[in-house]
Amino acid sequence: MAAVASETVNLVINDVEIAVPKGELIVESVKRLGLEIPIFCYHPRMKPVGMCRMCLVEVGFKQPDGSVRKMPKPQAACTLPAQDNMVIFTDTEMVHRDRKGVLEFLLINHPLDCPICDRGGECPLQNNTLFYGPSTSRFIEVKRHAHKAFPLSKYVTLDLERCIQCGRCVRFTEEISGDSELAFRFRGASMQPSTFELRDFTSKFSGNVIEICPVGALTNREYRFRARPWDLETKPSICLECSNGCATWFDYRVNRLVRVNGRTNEAINEEWTCDRGKFGHEHYNADNRLTVPLIRRGDRLEECDWPTAYAAILSAFGVGGDKVAMLAGSSLSNEGAYLLNRLFHRKFGSANVDYRRTAHTLPPDEAAGNAPTAIADLELKPSILVFGNSPADDIPIIFLRIRKAWFKHGARVVVAHHGETEADSFADVVLRYAPGTDADLAKGLVAARANDAAGVAQAAAACGVDESRIREAAALLGENTAIVTTDSLLNSASGADAFRALRQLGGELNRYALGANDQGFADLGLVPGPDGRGTAAILAGCADGSIESLWLAGADPFAFGDRATVEKALEQVGFVVYQGTHKSEAMGFASVVLPMAEPAEGDGTYVNAERRLQELRAVLSPPGEAKAAWRIGAELALRVGMAKPYFGAKDVAAEIFTQVPAFRGVAFGDRLN
Amino acid sequence: MSVSLFKDVVKPIATGFGITLKRLSHKKETVFYPEQRREQYPRTRWRHFLTRYESGLERCIGCSLCAGACPARCINVVAAENTDEKRFSPGERYAERYEINMIRCIFCGYCQDACPTGAVVLRKNFELADYKRESFIYTKEMLLESFPGEADAPWVGEYEEVK
Ligand code: SF4
Ligand code: SF4
Ligand code: SF4
Ligand code: FES
Repeated sequence: MAAVASETVNLVINDVEIAVPKGELIVESVKRLGLEIPIFCYHPRMKPVGMCRMCLVEVGFKQPDGSVRKMPKPQAACTLPAQDNMVIFTDTEMVHRDRKGVLEFLLINHPLDCPICDRGGECPLQNNTLFYGPSTSRFIEVKRHAHKAFPLSKYVTLDLERCIQCGRCVRFTEEISGDSELAFRFRGASMQPSTFELRDFTSKFSGNVIEICPVGALTNREYRFRARPWDLETKPSICLECSNGCATWFDYRVNRLVRVNGRTNEAINEEWTCDRGKFGHEHYNADNRLTVPLIRRGDRLEECDWPTAYAAILSAFGVGGDKVAMLAGSSLSNEGAYLLNRLFHRKFGSANVDYRRTAHTLPPDEAAGNAPTAIADLELKPSILVFGNSPADDIPIIFLRIRKAWFKHGARVVVAHHGETEADSFADVVLRYAPGTDADLAKGLVAARANDAAGVAQAAAACGVDESRIREAAALLGENTAIVTTDSLLNSASGADAFRALRQLGGELNRYALGANDQGFADLGLVPGPDGRGTAAILAGCADGSIESLWLAGADPFAFGDRATVEKALEQVGFVVYQGTHKSEAMGFASVVLPMAEPAEGDGTYVNAERRLQELRAVLSPPGEAKAAWRIGAELALRVGMAKPYFGAKDVAAEIFTQVPAFRGVAFGDRLN
Repeated sequence: MSVSLFKDVVKPIATGFGITLKRLSHKKETVFYPEQRREQYPRTRWRHFLTRYESGLERCIGCSLCAGACPARCINVVAAENTDEKRFSPGERYAERYEINMIRCIFCGYCQDACPTGAVVLRKNFELADYKRESFIYTKEMLLESFPGEADAPWVGEYEEVK
């Protein structure tokens, strides 16, 4: 949203006087009175284009003698800035007639196949027609025909017959996602939104055009024909496919997830989602979900009950100390992670717990204070340095903010990465360095800021970037710069050094987490203590026999570790607990399998990349006997006599609020201390 | 008080049997169900059918409008996509599953009203009693007519329709 203008103007809307910021669009001003103007092409987050003419209003101006002189023709409210003495009419005979006309016109070529359209029931075209449109059409000629259900991409279906040519989808790819993959071809009634030469629509944010299309022209291929809106129940959720924690709606039908839509949260995702989040939740419905606890008998995993599984685990982990270890997976809730962490530290007396999966790690004192810049504040930064990551892949919604900072507020952006990134398209300076030379480039930037010519020359030689480029980039940086790195920087051998060097650059240095709740684990202290072992050391310990029992809490080491190492580790270690949602390869090595609920199947809190604490209330019920992470932790705690019983995730959260300093006094929706 | 043989005994009996005698010549109102069945009013609404087009294709397009209109919420429609190899209905969409819970249904006919293709219709077959609750969930196989026009064909079986 634009900053609030200080200057206001007085206008009259339907006989009510109102003061609004000068230049505000009339379509927004009328909302202040609780009035509604029907719209199609206007979208509050994009520039107005006035293409559909649905928003017509009558406009007049107060004359010096007090009379009102009306303009002869109606005006589009979405392109009309508020001025002094304006008089707006949204409810006159003429306006109603014009709206009927516009709708009749829009429906001329619309197939009206609402009964089989996935948008039917939640369609702005249906709604506007019902409220403002004519009840019949005079058009009896043959309608425009086009290919039905054209697969625009893996996720999006295009039905050209239904398109009303509002241009929202085209503008989204130009203004918001920035890939400009959609454009209009042809003119007049044959105008079609599509990709160039009908190439695949590969945008990483393509799902949003489905939601902003005011008709059923762009529909969701995964949701196709799965339900009608009135079949659905919906609950608020948060997306835990990456660390951004976008607000979403979970739509489900008979306890089965059918689609995910964006939910407005101005602090994080505004209203957008990335495709990973919007289409990445099919694992909820997978056939290989775990539904009952399993225990190893001989070379088979047999079904058992929870008490048997717990008893086996507790006797195996009884050895305690350095002989046991836990690896945590990124979608465990704070509650689940906290309870297991405490079990290890207090009961098993072990500090071998870790969640980090990067090849290298920072020592604890350097790892703290990861994310000083809130996502929403990024757009107000005069300059942004993206270092050592591709934000559209690592942190997609933060990528949209960085782009918005440039597109809307003119931020200068420097992108330093060894590969191509989507952010290159709007960067002022792109620094493409040789892989592994992150630290050299970071030092070069520091040297350039300090006018140390020798330092710059040395860095340039080492990382293969032009000296002048480095200087050019450094000139754009300053105390107000936001530096955006992610944990993937630590996969590079010199990543940790780069991070240290970037610290001297000034500005706000962010190292955003990658996994859904990685930031929460960091703040809960789910890291090895001074005498504990980290992920790599734990796997090595399993392989050499110094660790006897390993707990995989939502973690699948095959997904991040080197194959041979992981296989050796899991083969050698005596006892493996696999606490997970799905069957996987690692499960084959398990001694006990605990079926876990997916995040939206249980209550829990999560911390996103900018350290915002968010609450997720159960949307679905878990399959079979699966349990939410907090419940598994709570039942174990009770069995080892550690706690008063917890009756819900809320009780555990309450304890976290008192026990963990970073969480003290933080409300849901706020950032941690 | 004395009782008069004629006034108090014979006369009332004669009057009573007189009515009976008179009625014997009237038209009979009862029928011998189930050998005989009464013709029903034209708009009688009982058992649902899913009808077919003349071509044999199903009319139902799986749009769930009937389910949305149903005040008893007793219809469940699961749709799927037609392909050229496996085509059930004209167009893109057909009902893969279609179920009506007949115990919940109040036979209001709103589903028939809502249906954009005239697929679901309520017909006159009222003999819907059964022994098990489960058998009241009418599936698509039970509802779909086996040939076009079956829903409107006269009831099968031996009986005489009386006015
Ligand atoms: S596809 Fe939808 S969003 Fe795009 S121009 Fe057509 S109606 Fe508008
Ligand atoms: S007749 Fe009425 S209650 Fe019965 S299925 Fe149809 S809409 Fe529902
Ligand atoms: S019976 Fe009619 S209203 Fe119901 S799903 Fe089929 S086509 Fe739609
Ligand atoms: S909303 Fe104003 S012209 Fe489309």
